[in-house]
Parts: sequence; C-alpha cells; structure tokens
Amino acid sequence: MPETTGRPAAGRVWSTPAQLVLGLAGAVLVVGTGLFLAAVFLHVAPANSVSRQYRDEVDGLVYPEFEQNWKLFAPNPLQQNVSLDARVRTAVDDGTTRTRDWTGLTAQDLAAIRGNPAPSHVDQNLLRRAWDFYDGSHNPQDEALTNPRGKLAEQYLKRIALQRIGREVDGERILEIEFRVTAATVPPPSWSGEAAPPAPRVRELPWWPVGDEDYRGLG
Amino acid sequence: MSEVSPETSVQASVEVSAEASAEVSPEVSQPVGPGRLEGIPRQVGQSADLDPDPGVGVGVGPWPGPAPRRPGSAESVARAMAAFTGRALGRHQAAVVRIGFGLVWLAYLLREWPNRRVLYGDRSPWSMDLAERLLSDNGAFTVLPWFGGRPWFELVYHLAVLAAVAVVLGWRTRASTVLFLVTVLSLQNRNVFLGDGGDNVVHLMAVYLVFTRCAEVWSLDARRARSGRGGVVLWAVLGAVLAACQFGGFAGDSLTWTARAFPYVGWAPLFWGLWVVAGLWWTLGRLRPDGEPRAVLDALANMVHNCAMLVIAVEVVLIYATAGWYKVQGSRWQDGTALYYPLHLDYFTPWPGLSALVGSALLPVFLISYGTVIVQVAFPFTLLNRRVKNVLLAVMTAEHLGIALLLGLPVFSLAMIAADAVFLPTGALLWLAARLRRIRRPRVPVA
Repeated sequence: MPETTGRPAAGRVWSTPAQLVLGLAGAVLVVGTGLFLAAVFLHVAPANSVSRQYRDEVDGLVYPEFEQNWKLFAPNPLQQNVSLDARVRTAVDDGTTRTRDWTGLTAQDLAAIRGNPAPSHVDQNLLRRAWDFYDGSHNPQDEALTNPRGKLAEQYLKRIALQRIGREVDGERILEIEFRVTAATVPPPSWSGEAAPPAPRVRELPWWPVGDEDYRGLG
Repeated sequence: MSEVSPETSVQASVEVSAEASAEVSPEVSQPVGPGRLEGIPRQVGQSADLDPDPGVGVGVGPWPGPAPRRPGSAESVARAMAAFTGRALGRHQAAVVRIGFGLVWLAYLLREWPNRRVLYGDRSPWSMDLAERLLSDNGAFTVLPWFGGRPWFELVYHLAVLAAVAVVLGWRTRASTVLFLVTVLSLQNRNVFLGDGGDNVVHLMAVYLVFTRCAEVWSLDARRARSGRGGVVLWAVLGAVLAACQFGGFAGDSLTWTARAFPYVGWAPLFWGLWVVAGLWWTLGRLRPDGEPRAVLDALANMVHNCAMLVIAVEVVLIYATAGWYKVQGSRWQDGTALYYPLHLDYFTPWPGLSALVGSALLPVFLISYGTVIVQVAFPFTLLNRRVKNVLLAVMTAEHLGIALLLGLPVFSLAMIAADAVFLPTGALLWLAARLRRIRRPRVPVA
C-alpha cells in the first residue's frame, strides 16, 4: 500500500495530457458510478416503467454479484412457523419394507438454536432456505415443478435429510424418503382482538426413491 | 446472498417474507432510550474545521461539505474537482468499514469452522454437481469448482481466513482486499442457499472495498514508510498465480475477458487491471516518485476511492430506504403489531422467554414497530443534518445489537453496524482511536 499524503497535491499544475487523462477518467468514473447506482436503485425499487424499459441492462449489471433484497420483514413480517419432518422406508430382510417414524428435522435445528448466542448457518439457514427454494419452485397442490430449478431443490432437500438420517436405520437400508411440512400461523397478540388462526396446515410430499448416488459426498 | 436468481426473487410473498425474516434488520430494535447517546462522544456538534478529514462521516456523503462562504460557481467546481482528484475522502470511515467487515467475516469463518465442509465443502448437501448446474445458469464467480475435492476447498477456506485477517490489519491491502473478494465470493457462491442479509452485505462490501483506499489510516500499510521489497515479491507471486489460473485451463468460464450479457465485461480485466496498476504504481514510485505520471495515478486512485465510497454510502441508504418504504405498505406495520411476529418465529428466537417478554405488551410493540419504520424511512433525509444523522446512527446501532441478541443474527447485525460506520463522524472515530490508544498504553511496560 503506497503512502499518500491525503492532501491535495497543493499547487500542482497539471500538464495538458495529465488534464486530459484526469478529465476523461473523472467523467467515465462519475458516469459509471451514476449508472451503477441507478441500476441498483432500479433493482431494489418496485417494478416501474423505467426498470421495465431497461430490464436487460439492469439485470446484466446486478446479477449475479450485486443482487440484493432489502425487504427486511417487509411489507409484512413472516407470520408462519414452518417445520419439516422426514420419514423413511427401509428394506426388511424378508423382502418387505418398513415405514419408520417421523424425524423432526426442523426440531433438530431449533434445538441447536435455543440458547445459542451465535447460531450456525447449518442450523438457522440450511434447511429453512432449502425449503424456501423447494416451495418457490413447486406447486403446493400437486408438487409439480413451476421452475426447472425445482429438480435441484428436490435433490438438495433430500440430501439434507439423508445426511442427518444416514444410510441405514437399525441396520436396514433406506429405500425411500418422504417429507411432511407443517405450517403454523403465529397466533395474533392477545390485545389485537383478531380471531385465532386456523389449524396448522400439513403438506405431504410424495415418496422419493433413495439410492447410493444420493449419498455422494455426504460423509 | 439472500436471493439466488431472478426466479427466486420473484416468488410468492411468503417466500419474500421468509427471506425477510432472515434478514431482519433494524426492525426489532430497541427504543430510543434517554441515555442512548452516551456512547457517542462530543464530536457531534463540532465543526468541520477541527476535522482533518471532512468527508463521509461529517457531511452528507463522501463529498466535501458546503464551503463556508459562497464562492463563485467556477471556483466551487474547481474545488470539487480538486477534492475529487486530490484526496481520498473519508479515509477513517473507509478504514473502519474495512476493519469492520474483515472482523465480521473472520468471526463468521471461525464460528463456522467446524461446519465448513457441510456449508461450502465436500460434504455439502448442495453437492458440487448441483452447484455447477446452477452456476452454469447464473454465472456467479467462484473458484471452488476448479478442483472439486477437499484439499482445494480447505485451501480456499483457510485463505479466506488469512485474507480476512490481512484486511483487518490492513496488511498489503491492495492485494488482501482482492483475495478477500475472491474468497468471499467463492464461498458464498458455492452455495447461495445458505446466506441471509448479513452475507449479502458482506458480499457487496467485499467488492466495493477493492476500489477504496481503505488502508490510509489504522493499518499496517500506513505504518510502513516504504513498500519495500516484500510488495514486489507478493506482486510477482500473485501475477504468477493469476497467470496460472488464467492459462492453466482449469478455471472454466470464471476468468473470461468478456461476458455474454451487458455490461459484457468478465473478471479477467478486473484482476489483470488491478495487477498492472499495482506494478505501474511501484515502478513509477521507484523511477520518478515526484513525477507527474505518479501524481496522475495517485489522483486516479483518489477518484476511484471517492466513487467507491459514494457507492458504499448509497448502498447503506438503499438498504434502509428499501427496508423502510416497503414496510410502510405492510398491514402489520400499519396496525403496529409487526414486531410481535418475528419474536414468535422459531428460527429466530434463541431466547424464547426473552422474546415473548419483549413482545408481550401492546405499547412497546407498537412504539418499536412504528419507530422502526420512521427511522428507516427517515434515515436518508437525516443525512442532510449531521446532528440528527448521528443520533439516528446511534439508534440504529442499538437496534442492531438488539437484533443480534434477540433474533440470534449476530453476523447480520454486526455487518450492518460495519456498513453504518461509513457515516460515522471522523471526530468520533478519532476520539475512539485515542481512547483505545490510552487503554493500551498503560499496559506497555515502562522502559
């Protein structure tokens, strides 16, 4: 790091080429900075006529490295506790299968977060955001893909659960896995006078087959 | 990175709010207590003439404040140009932002050290195969797929730790901020489904810091009178490494010169450009330290720094303004119960009893909910008044500390505090530095 004075080069008289370089660079920088900030502004602002007009330019500048979302708890905070459980079907020696009990994946996360002043991303974000990813790419009615990336979300979710559950249960190999998602609306505060929320909604995903390749790298 | 792609960004509102809950922010803040300003020293009302660096923190932005008397327009243009080219504005703020983000990321990396392989490494459920399919889509920069295995990952992770330490200390900052950028982006883009608002801020600042002269004060670089031979060796080594990555055939599409989409620029021009400029800088400093070319480079560096500081400042403003203005539209913020809900989200209540207590009464919940929106919406405008701005900074810092504790989001909160530092008054920073020095001095044994 070079030492600098931090003061204007007092009284320096620039030569013409220097003036040209500085003037040109200054103009480019000011315009470039302005355009960049405008793009970021249009990216975070509500969709509007200008951002629609320049959508390609704005997206080109912002994605992938300057993407940002600052709708922090806005327009409304999340009012739902989503919890995921998984259960597996294992192969019994006599050729039949056995369906195992539900494992509380979210419950494991919460147990790790409780009383922890610095929760890990492993507990606070990994499963939670994987579900957001899945939920955002699937139709809640029939679990059909709404986005080609949904396939990745399925793989991801499956591998998160399998990493926690393991390859076998009581010595029996896992053949299939199923997820159950319970969304419970936070009851309104006592003083609000609002009606109690409806009972938690339970959503069951289809059984997914489990193979050795699903465990690659899970350790 | 909070969102991953255009697709995820435009998902249903539940998705957005789920994200939002991760990113929280000032909302859950503490109310403005009477003694709240104790931490802020007297500098608040002091005039800029005591201030050796009337930059970002003191005035409105990284631009010099208004001149004391009204000069002619030609004169003020000349002054503005002189300030723009002549010095790095907000040097102390830049240093604090550098130290702050270095510390945040360092703390994060050390905290997650036991989990690193599951988060970003060879044991991630987001397997390299899945990651590469997404990366081929969105083109985000990461070096981790170059060599998939564990040794390479461990090398990158521990380089990230070293880069964060170097950034905190301000050691060879021109190089270490670039390494910081490379490692932050590499890890975060390896799995974009892990981050929250805190990661997002670190990600952005890692890019912006590269363009600032953030080691002019409070750094090892500032202590070292001359750059010496070590710098040249480092420069040569980094050049060789960059060349190996560029021409080694393993970097895939990450080090291209051009890009398919607007603005058509790849990463190679940035890295090589920085490398060439560093070499030019050293050479001119050797050959003609007082010559004009070197002075031109210095002025160019100042201009780039000043633009980057403006970007950082505007980024912080955008964060608060976005958070605030979108809340205005929310029914829960309007009815004054918004604060209650995050305090009852399982993932963000490490201390459920405490959260329930804070969210238990009508009036505090209402006041904090409304206060949060008011503060966030007002923040950009308070920059017009130094005193009000400083009060708000103190309030928001307190808010962030409250969030860190209550919602279990220390990384996010500390990152936001580090970002806010761009607006801290220079007087306060110097005062704090003097205090720290005084604390340290008595421990030094008297010779």
